[in-house]
Amino acid sequence: MTTVPEPVVAAATVADLVGDRAADWDRAGRLPEEVVRKLGAAGLLAAQIPTAHGGPGWSSLDNGVFTARVGSLCSSLRSVMTSQGMAAWTVERLGSRAQATSLLPRLASTETAAVAFSEPQAGSDLSAIATTVTIEGDALLLDGHKVWVTAAEHADLFLVFARYGEGGAVVVVPRSAPGVRLRRRSDPLGCRAAGHADVWFDGVRLPTDSLLGDGGQSLSLLVTTALTYGRISVAWGCVGILQACLAAAVDHAGRRHQFGNPLAQHQLVARHLADLWSAEQVATRVCEHASRCWDEGSPEVVTATVLAKYVSAGHAVRAAADAVQVLASAGAQDGHPVARAYRDAKVMEIIEGSTEMCQLMLADRALHRR
Amino acid sequence: MTVPSEQAVSGTTDGGDAVQPELLRFLSARTGRSWTTDTDLFAAGGLSSLFAMELVVHLEQTYGISVRGTDLRLENFRTVRRMAALVDRLRRPTGDDGA
Repeated sequence: MTTVPEPVVAAATVADLVGDRAADWDRAGRLPEEVVRKLGAAGLLAAQIPTAHGGPGWSSLDNGVFTARVGSLCSSLRSVMTSQGMAAWTVERLGSRAQATSLLPRLASTETAAVAFSEPQAGSDLSAIATTVTIEGDALLLDGHKVWVTAAEHADLFLVFARYGEGGAVVVVPRSAPGVRLRRRSDPLGCRAAGHADVWFDGVRLPTDSLLGDGGQSLSLLVTTALTYGRISVAWGCVGILQACLAAAVDHAGRRHQFGNPLAQHQLVARHLADLWSAEQVATRVCEHASRCWDEGSPEVVTATVLAKYVSAGHAVRAAADAVQVLASAGAQDGHPVARAYRDAKVMEIIEGSTEMCQLMLADRALHRR
Repeated sequence: MTVPSEQAVSGTTDGGDAVQPELLRFLSARTGRSWTTDTDLFAAGGLSSLFAMELVVHLEQTYGISVRGTDLRLENFRTVRRMAALVDRLRRPTGDDGA
């Protein structure tokens, strides 16, 4: 088994691996394959995979802090981590023991995975999923079209959410299976290098044990299960965006002089710094709460992850705008960390449950529960 | 979130009898409403599927079970009686994980 680095060592490793190249990756729209594979081989794309399955077995809190570190360097790479972690969690939660034993060690080392939810007519309303899986003799048949699949370009496996009879199912599909076809999504607004693609599954025939846990679960529970991991991961990624914006704004406001004083001594600029620091602190605390709920097995984890995602994404959007404002022309250049953060943060308000969907869920929590 | 709690309620002596009152107390405490063992929790005006996931985690932590695979059907969580039956079934020792 590969020796797994501790969180602190892992954070230094990933900083070395990314270096100052994130802007180039963003402009090119691609992450180097070797970067993804190196992190994967170290078990760091999905660090909560249990040690019993060959993973690092980190707590949600340790993984969250690490996710934020990666997010502060490169949101595209963090997006690939979110996909891998969500795939691993879905296997751990929905798969049989045999499936977990087969798949999780691979996801902790050599293989990458992408999770396919959205379709042309199924975004926030995933009950409208039209992709179907049927059983034909000793095989299953998968037909459908998924869009905006994050990390698809790097994926060896797809976890595809589909209709199965009256219920739902998650199907594990090798990228190499006949009938699988990808088309790259070029030039997205943010997380440009995260390998987004649309994926077609045209009459894909697979063994029936490709259904996680035999399928037939409630589609809403399947989606909620996967997104609980996805939301907390995205929320921690937003903490990373906030860390990067705060660092850039503080550095610039301390060095740049106007009207004979550092920008930081101008009160209207200082207000932006206060807002940035407050946003980073609030997002961190709400993410820590969600991770502690996860690690303690509290039922509150489900709502806490929605809250963390909602709060962190909103703060990231506003704080990234503040950071661009503080840096002004210095930050208004494609390739600058705050310009990248400005675009990446907006995407965080859309994925893994839009801000509006989170608001509906939180309103339901407020209305119906103590 | 994956590992059932060490403080899980013992499943060896009380069978399913203690599960229903505990679940009714949990639901009442979380929702501020009273429920019966056969009330459809997810019928119109009831609880969300998000809450169903909270029930999954609660059952796992309280009763030391693991709800996985095909057991993740909303039908298993629709009433207190069905949840108690699920707990009772998953507490029985088997050679497999039920998935």
